[in-house]
Amino acid sequence: MDAEPSRRIAIAFARQAASSPSALWCLACIDVLAVSGAAITLTGPDDSGPICTSSPGVAALEDLQFVSGEGPYRDAQRTGRRVDAPHLEATSEWPSFAELAQSHGFAAAFAYPLTVDGATVGVMSVYQYAAGDLSTDQHDDCRALADVLAATILSLQADAPAGELADALDDAIAYRAEVYQASGMLAVQLSIPPAEALLRIRAYAFAASRPLDSVATDILAHRLRLPDDRRDRPGRKV
Amino acid sequence: MPAHESKPTLRLERTADTFVEIVDTLVRDFDVIEVLTVLTSRCVELLDAAAAGILLADDAGNLRVVGASTEQIHLLELFQVQNEEGPCLDCFRTGKPVISSDLRSISPWPTFAAECIAAGFLSVCAVPLRLKGATLGCLNLFMRQAAALSDADVALAQALADVASITMVQEQAARQVATQHAHLRRTLNGRIAIEQAKGMIAESAGLGMDAAFARLRHHAEARHEGPTAIAEALVSGAITVSDVTG
Repeated sequence: MDAEPSRRIAIAFARQAASSPSALWCLACIDVLAVSGAAITLTGPDDSGPICTSSPGVAALEDLQFVSGEGPYRDAQRTGRRVDAPHLEATSEWPSFAELAQSHGFAAAFAYPLTVDGATVGVMSVYQYAAGDLSTDQHDDCRALADVLAATILSLQADAPAGELADALDDAIAYRAEVYQASGMLAVQLSIPPAEALLRIRAYAFAASRPLDSVATDILAHRLRLPDDRRDRPGRKV
Repeated sequence: MPAHESKPTLRLERTADTFVEIVDTLVRDFDVIEVLTVLTSRCVELLDAAAAGILLADDAGNLRVVGASTEQIHLLELFQVQNEEGPCLDCFRTGKPVISSDLRSISPWPTFAAECIAAGFLSVCAVPLRLKGATLGCLNLFMRQAAALSDADVALAQALADVASITMVQEQAARQVATQHAHLRRTLNGRIAIEQAKGMIAESAGLGMDAAFARLRHHAEARHEGPTAIAEALVSGAITVSDVTG
């Protein structure tokens, strides 16, 4: 990659984002890259959470991918490679993602892994209202910004107190705190590991087409009890 | 006279090849010792040197032998360090190249000079491994004949030494990234485990989330552990929720 766009993008991003909370990084992304929507996701081996999303629609797409395990950011998280979906209307991969994205007005989606020396720390998702590939310059800029974000995430965490997630990154987990709490509750109810309970909650939300956070809220309030059933089918109200 | 000077083009090509080879090892998953060993071998081929060695300062500032083109040189380098005299030590102290064109004349390092002559080397050159004003160590060249290296050879030796410096910084940076990445993942998992443990304790003891977290912290403090360690033990099944709530 040419060093010049990298430097230009890094400076433009830093000027906007350096002094603002991480919740506003996406707005800086949209502005610098001239795209319609963006999300920055922190990823672990299995789990992930958004550091920021540029709109409620983008947040819903983030949630759907977390729940279903499918979509551009999930693929980028798994493979460590860039994912292009310039024509969501025609894509046969991730049908539920493509449908929801279009319902929010997005016709194209792209996902850039945030990597430093081969280590993937997150994904930057980019959405466009217009169908079609990004220009070569836009792709170069996205790559450059992804590099800046990856380095920023690692250095923020390196400066955090031992054992604590850096404040700027904590939103990624805080965003789904209730979902993780609900998985702990369900684990006790069904005598299964919390990771398996989380899979059950995701499967239930997906099958019932319900937002993940409202399912979690219902479980925490004991309004919803998922059945002790090895099959992934919708639970019943108790 | 350095033999290569009669064939400048060939030497230029081989120098370029050496840089390509070193950069290539940098791009692959590389071992810093391997890179430095390659470097000492290429120094011998490119410069009119019979042997080469590399010394690096450890965290405490003591020089250690990390690469040598032959075992004999490894011993000579060790000898320098042990006797605390020699061109490499002077080069490391001053950060400047040190050249002795005839070790048989009066030498600032009499013991080292005697050892070199006994081993068949009559002149030496040491160039610093530099980075942003700091000296990391030095590259030592040993010649059979009593003659000063040409300025061009010293400049080339310095260029090769600079490549070696970059190699080490690259490795440090890569190691740092790997550590930071592992740390980020651990912290992320720990943070998730805390929320899951709160849910487990809340369900088991009929508590709200704040009270569940207080119970977790209380249990951790009583055992001189952090809440994350207890939460991870709970989530992994190493301890049961009744161990915490009971």
